[in-house]
Amino acid sequence: MATEVAPKSILKKPTNPTTASTSKADRDRQTALYHADLIQARKDTELEILSATEELLEYPLAKSPFNASNPSPDDAKTFKSLLTPFQPRDYDELIVERNCADLCGYAMCPNPRQRESGGGIYRVMGTSGKAKDFKILAKEELEKWCSEACAKRALYIRVQLSESPSWERGATEYLVRLDLLDEPKSVEALEKLDLSAEESQNSQQNKANLALERGDQTISVRSRLVDVKIEEKVIQRKAEAPSLEEDGLGGKLSTMHLALEGHVPIFDGRKQVGSGDSEDEDTDWKL
Amino acid sequence: MSTDEDRQAKQREAGSRETAKLWRAWRTVHELVQDRGYTLAEEEVKITLDDFKRAHGDSEGNISKSSMKFSALPSEAMIQRAQIPPSEREPNPQQPTVGTIWVEFIEGDNVGIKQMRNFVQFLGGHNYGTGIMVTSVNVTPSAMKIVHTQLDLKVEVFHEQDLLVNITHHELVPKHVLLSQEEKAALLVRYRLKDTQLPRIQTTDPVARYLGLRRGQVVKIIRKSETAGRYASYRFCV
Repeated sequence: MATEVAPKSILKKPTNPTTASTSKADRDRQTALYHADLIQARKDTELEILSATEELLEYPLAKSPFNASNPSPDDAKTFKSLLTPFQPRDYDELIVERNCADLCGYAMCPNPRQRESGGGIYRVMGTSGKAKDFKILAKEELEKWCSEACAKRALYIRVQLSESPSWERGATEYLVRLDLLDEPKSVEALEKLDLSAEESQNSQQNKANLALERGDQTISVRSRLVDVKIEEKVIQRKAEAPSLEEDGLGGKLSTMHLALEGHVPIFDGRKQVGSGDSEDEDTDWKL
Repeated sequence: MSTDEDRQAKQREAGSRETAKLWRAWRTVHELVQDRGYTLAEEEVKITLDDFKRAHGDSEGNISKSSMKFSALPSEAMIQRAQIPPSEREPNPQQPTVGTIWVEFIEGDNVGIKQMRNFVQFLGGHNYGTGIMVTSVNVTPSAMKIVHTQLDLKVEVFHEQDLLVNITHHELVPKHVLLSQEEKAALLVRYRLKDTQLPRIQTTDPVARYLGLRRGQVVKIIRKSETAGRYASYRFCV
C-alpha cells in the first residue's frame, strides 16, 4: 500500500558533517593554544611594564628650564603613555627603583631624593602649625621624595592607575587617562574628583560590565575558543513611519480586536486571514 | 677618655663580626659551588679566617667586597651527568653545554635594576652559564623580574644571611643527590613511571636552591631509617 505522498519526517535534518566534526585532538589543541595565548599576552605585558620601568629610571630627559612642577610636554606625554599598563603595585616598584638610583620617586623630578640625617625610624612633622598638619611619618617614607610637593605629585598619579591588571582590562582601557597634578585638568577629570572613591569604583565597574555586555573584548588575545562576530545590520532604504494604509496592516485591521497575543482564533472551521492553501494540512491519517 | 676607647673597641668588634660573617658566607658559597660539581682546590674551599683577611682585607682590616668574586669550571663528572642519553625517538640528542659559574658579592645598600642589568650583561659578555649574586640587602622586585626573563642564562640570588651556615651540613637535612639524565631514565623504567608521577620538590626549596636544581631534574634523597638502615626517596623538581 504505497502512498503517493511520502510522510514528512519530524526529525531534524542532519547538519552537514564536514563542517561540524573536528576531532577531539584538534579541539584540545585549540583550547591549549587559547590558554597559551592568554599566558603569553600576560607575559608580554609584564615585560612591557619592566622595560617602561627601566626607561623611566632615566627620566626626566629634558634639562634645566623644566622641573617637577613644570615638566616638558614631551616628557609628560611619554610618561603618561608609559604608565598606561601599570597597576599601583608596579608604580610602587618604579618608585623603589628610582630611589635605588638615588632619585626622587616622582619620575618627572630631576632632583636627588632627600636624605634624613640622624637615626630613628620615625619623624614628627608639623609641630609648629595647625593641629591637623601634625603627623608622624616613617623616615623611609620621607626619604622616597625630594620634597613634600613631589610626594603629592607622585601619589596623585598613583591613585589614577587602574587596579585591574592590564591584560584583563581590554574594553575598559579607555578609562585609564592620567593627569599630572600641575596640569590643567580635563573636564572629565574634574567631574571624577567630585565623586567619592567608592562611587567612582562602582561606576568603573559598571562601565566595564556594560562594555562586556556590548561584546567589546580585549584585542590582545588573538584567537578564542568560539568565533563570535557581531555584525551590525546595514539598512539601505530610508526609514519610514508605519501607516495604516499599507496593505500589510490594512487587511488585518478588521480582525485585530480578536487577536490574543498575536494569534487570531479561527471560527467556523476556516481561517479568516491568509486562508486557502491546503499544502500544510496534515495528511498523515490518509491511507 | 674611657668612652672614646669604648667606642673604638665596639667599632673594632663590629668590624670583626662583619668580617667573620663575610668569611663564613665565602666558605659556604665555595662549598656550594664544589657540591654542585665544579672544580675547586681544597685550600680554596677550606680557607681560614686569617687567610681570608689577608686576601680580601685592607691594612685596617676592612674587607672590600669588590674583590670577592671567583669563577669555577665544571668537572668531568658534572658534564657527564648533564648528558642526555640517546633514546629511540632521538638517537642523537643535542647535548647541553655546561658553562662555567661566576660568583660575585655585591656591594651597596640596594640592588636595583641597574646592578642586575650590569651583572647579567657581564655574565653574557664572558660566556658564563650560571651566575650567583650574593647580596647583603634584598633585591628589588623589578630586578628579580630580569632574572626570570633570562632564557639560557641562569642567575641565582643569595642573601649573605642565608649563607652563614651550610644547611646541608645540618643533621636534620638528609643527603640530596642529583641524578644524571641516564639514572633518571633508568629510575623511570624501573618503577614504570612518568617523571610527573614522582613526589615533588620546589625550585624554591632551600636545598634545591643550594643545588641549583632546575625544573625536570630528579634528586635522590637518602635518609637514615631505624628499620631499614637507609631509605632512598626521589623528588621531581617543579
